[in-house]
Amino acid sequence: MSKVIEVNDLCKTYVVNRKQNNVLRNVSFSIEEGEMVGIMGPSGSGKSTLLYTVSGMDKMSAGEVSFNSKRLSELSENDMADVRLDEMGFIFQQMYMMKNLTVFDNIILPAVKSKKISESRKDTEKRGRALMRKLGIENIADNDINEVSGGQLQRACICRSMINKPKVIFADEPTGALNRTSSDEVMSELVKINNEGTTIMMVTHDVKVAAKCSRVLYIVDGNIQGEYKLGRFDDSSKLRDREIELNNWLMDMGW
Amino acid sequence: MFFRILKKDLKRKKTMNIILLIFVFLSVMFAASSINNMISVFGGIDYFFEKAQMSDYVILTLNSNGEDPTEDIVNNADAVKEVRKESIIFFSAKTLKKDGGKYAEFESPGLITSVDDAKLKYFDRSNHVIDELEPGHVYVGGILADPDKTKIGDEITMEIEGVTVNLVIDGYLKDALLGSPFMGNPRMLMSDEDVQTILSDEKVRNADCGSVYYIDTDDMKELTAQLAEVPNALFAQPASTLRLTFMLDMITAGILLIVSVCLILVAFTMLSFTIKFTLSEDFREIGVMKAVGLRNTSIRNMYMIKYLSIALVGAVFGYIGSIPFGEMLLKSVSDQMVLGNDNQIFVGILTAIAVVAVILLFCYYCTRSIRSLSPIDAVRNGETGERYNSKSVLKLHKSRLSSNLFLAINDVFSKPKQYASMIVTFTICLLLIQMLATTANTLMSDKLLFLLGTTRSDVYYSSTDKIMETMGNTDEETLPRMIKEIEDTLAENDMPGKVHIELQYQLPVEYKDNKIKVVMQRCSATKTTDYKYEKGTAPLYENEVAFTPQVLDELGAKIGDKVRIEIGGETKEYIVTATFVSFNQLGKTGRLHENVDIKDSDAASAFAFQIDFDDHPSAAVIDERIEKLKEIYKTDEIFNAKDFVDVSTNSAASVNMAKNMVLIISLLISALIAVLMERSFITKETGEIALMKAIGFKSRSVSSQHTLRFLVVIVIAQVIASILSYPFTKLVCDRIFAVMGAISGIVYEIRPFEVFVSYPVMLAMVVMVAAFITSQYMRTIHADAMGNIE
Repeated sequence: MSKVIEVNDLCKTYVVNRKQNNVLRNVSFSIEEGEMVGIMGPSGSGKSTLLYTVSGMDKMSAGEVSFNSKRLSELSENDMADVRLDEMGFIFQQMYMMKNLTVFDNIILPAVKSKKISESRKDTEKRGRALMRKLGIENIADNDINEVSGGQLQRACICRSMINKPKVIFADEPTGALNRTSSDEVMSELVKINNEGTTIMMVTHDVKVAAKCSRVLYIVDGNIQGEYKLGRFDDSSKLRDREIELNNWLMDMGW
Repeated sequence: MFFRILKKDLKRKKTMNIILLIFVFLSVMFAASSINNMISVFGGIDYFFEKAQMSDYVILTLNSNGEDPTEDIVNNADAVKEVRKESIIFFSAKTLKKDGGKYAEFESPGLITSVDDAKLKYFDRSNHVIDELEPGHVYVGGILADPDKTKIGDEITMEIEGVTVNLVIDGYLKDALLGSPFMGNPRMLMSDEDVQTILSDEKVRNADCGSVYYIDTDDMKELTAQLAEVPNALFAQPASTLRLTFMLDMITAGILLIVSVCLILVAFTMLSFTIKFTLSEDFREIGVMKAVGLRNTSIRNMYMIKYLSIALVGAVFGYIGSIPFGEMLLKSVSDQMVLGNDNQIFVGILTAIAVVAVILLFCYYCTRSIRSLSPIDAVRNGETGERYNSKSVLKLHKSRLSSNLFLAINDVFSKPKQYASMIVTFTICLLLIQMLATTANTLMSDKLLFLLGTTRSDVYYSSTDKIMETMGNTDEETLPRMIKEIEDTLAENDMPGKVHIELQYQLPVEYKDNKIKVVMQRCSATKTTDYKYEKGTAPLYENEVAFTPQVLDELGAKIGDKVRIEIGGETKEYIVTATFVSFNQLGKTGRLHENVDIKDSDAASAFAFQIDFDDHPSAAVIDERIEKLKEIYKTDEIFNAKDFVDVSTNSAASVNMAKNMVLIISLLISALIAVLMERSFITKETGEIALMKAIGFKSRSVSSQHTLRFLVVIVIAQVIASILSYPFTKLVCDRIFAVMGAISGIVYEIRPFEVFVSYPVMLAMVVMVAAFITSQYMRTIHADAMGNIE
């Protein structure tokens, strides 16, 4: 398997009121194609900063991130936008969407914008509908975003992240704002997507969610303290065991 | 605690508060300057006439063989209460030279007045009375008080009948009699020494002298009847008619007032938007404040104090800004008139206070919604109440538009309220520009030819010298000889044609007890049926006559009535058969049948020699021939029909100037609004911008989408403006033309490309550039700023 993300000595520093705050300190790790990596750690440890810096949404202070063999620090703002549009997908804790578009239009917007996939608007529509059908939300396609539930909206966000067939999906606590049932539904979709070959890097607080990842990185004060390999999640009957296994490891790490 | 929240709010929402402050500033500036101008303009003419000591009635005469029969008539008229006589010398354009060449072009004869004999008060541009002049120094007024025609400091030579005086132009006059460009006559105010030098020539004393009688009366009707007998009057009108000549300036001022009112409307529309916008931004905070137990009144007071602080600061700066802004607007009018308003400071402050009060009332009205907001709004981000409203109007998957254009159009149609104020603003700007452009184009087109009381000819040759030679000259062969000479010249130069001229006579007209002097037109070479009439049928016989409705109103007569007209000492009855509209004499004119027996030498004035070529040439050939004739007669006063209308109405330039000013103001205001609105949008949509960037939109793509919204808004405004353009133009401009005498029948010259394409494109370009430059600010918003999305 080839490495799709390679991070070396990544640093991120914020300066607030002339005080330097080192959020990430010489972080190094890599993610291989097809992996589903969970990032865990206490509040303020730098999990989200790590996700946003690795995905190029935030600028790094030092170090290097290589995404699909491209060095992010060498990309211009426009090139970075192209990479985000065509090779990355994003899912956030809050279901951010364009207010003035329907759920379906929100989903296909990146595809309409993309130049990577040359297809007619009709074909885009077909793909969008197929994705919605797959995630079980076809019935809300023409709804406005304030007319649907959080779980449905988050699944719509997953559809949007998938529409341009990205290499990697970055998810920042995708189930953080959902109830348990919705959370399980969303996670089962993400596992399915991962099993179909899409790499996922996901920040989460939830052990139950992290237990579905193939690997978990534990971060404290901007440093990766350790990693735990769970292996591919392909048997839901083993979920409970994976949770206990991961929980024990986390306890050892000081969780 | 209360003030700490307020302080924090003012600091944290700096951008929106500054935008609000700017709109308050604009509102106060526009309102204070406009109201001051309205007061100055509405009382303007009366104030000017009072300061200039204008009389109730004015007669301008040309001596005949050195004799002025008017003086006796005036002295013997019972209705005359007081009379002031100002001696004048007439001069034409050819008498003025600079460096050996012709100095300035003008058609109507000019008047020379001695500063020592002045019976009116003449003012300089700084409104100081000119009561002293050094020999060799002059002030020019009337049509010459125009930087395009003359320059202050110019050294010129005046040569009348062989007498030469060297003169330096010291400045421009404000002249209550000839100040309006509509009068068309220039005036020169000279030292008495220079006047006496010119009068030293006998020919001047006999042929070029005249008088202006300034008459006061208590009985205007009786005075008009008694002075109807004056035989040598070139002009005899009450002050009320003179007031009308300044109406054109007042119209320009009126247009500026309409602009000012529109600017106030624009400012308040924008203000209302900004207040609602800032309040809607605060839904969450209002909810939180309610959740922690603050009462509605406390929250509302907090907002009221916030807006009061902003309004007060804006009002102070707005008042200061209103002084130069108001002066700038008024300057275009006060160049011709002494305008006054002694209460400028008081009115300005009062207006500023009124604007603050209106803002507070408005805020009070807008903050009503605080009562209806519940703490849950804090959680739901202010979406309560909108939750089941559909927002998306268009469907991306059904559209063939590019994503940027789609998002722009969808955004405008999804949030019409947000864009309504901009649509209103741009529509008002476009309507004003289109109205003034159409008016200026109409005044410069040949569509108004019929209003000048002339028939259509190929060429119009205006010669003050030739006309002055005819008037007061007892030799009846003078005019036919002139016409013959012109026809011979045409034939010699391979452009044979017929020549004729419209003559104007000042004739006493009587109906029942009413007797007035009316300028009657007559042309022996045309038929009365060649002219356009409003009602009735053209005079077909010698004893038939047509008048304008204004004359009939004054006489109390109507079509079918018999009026008595005195021609050549003989009074006859004439049947009124028709009415027509005219610009001549501000609409107070009539037309005699071509066969009426009246001497050419009795004419008080004439229009231009009209040339009709025998070979009916094309417009291009006519223009070529005009150039040739200009060389032959060494004058620029030869025109085609279109230019003749422009020169005769003498008002296209002022309307054009008003249009250009409105255009500049509209472009500036629109650009400013675009900047402020775009900045507000960026502040409000930070989250959405970040989201778009997160999913791969480039900055330039988001920026284009924002800029395209303004294009969409302008297109909508242009559609509305195009629909309203003609009715709006007619509504406003029919009144302008009515003031000039043409009370009906105006067909507007609409130039579709200029009006419906070039100006909107100009506005769109300015607005889009302003929006695009402002939108670059969104480059500072990065994908990780999505936390701001609501």
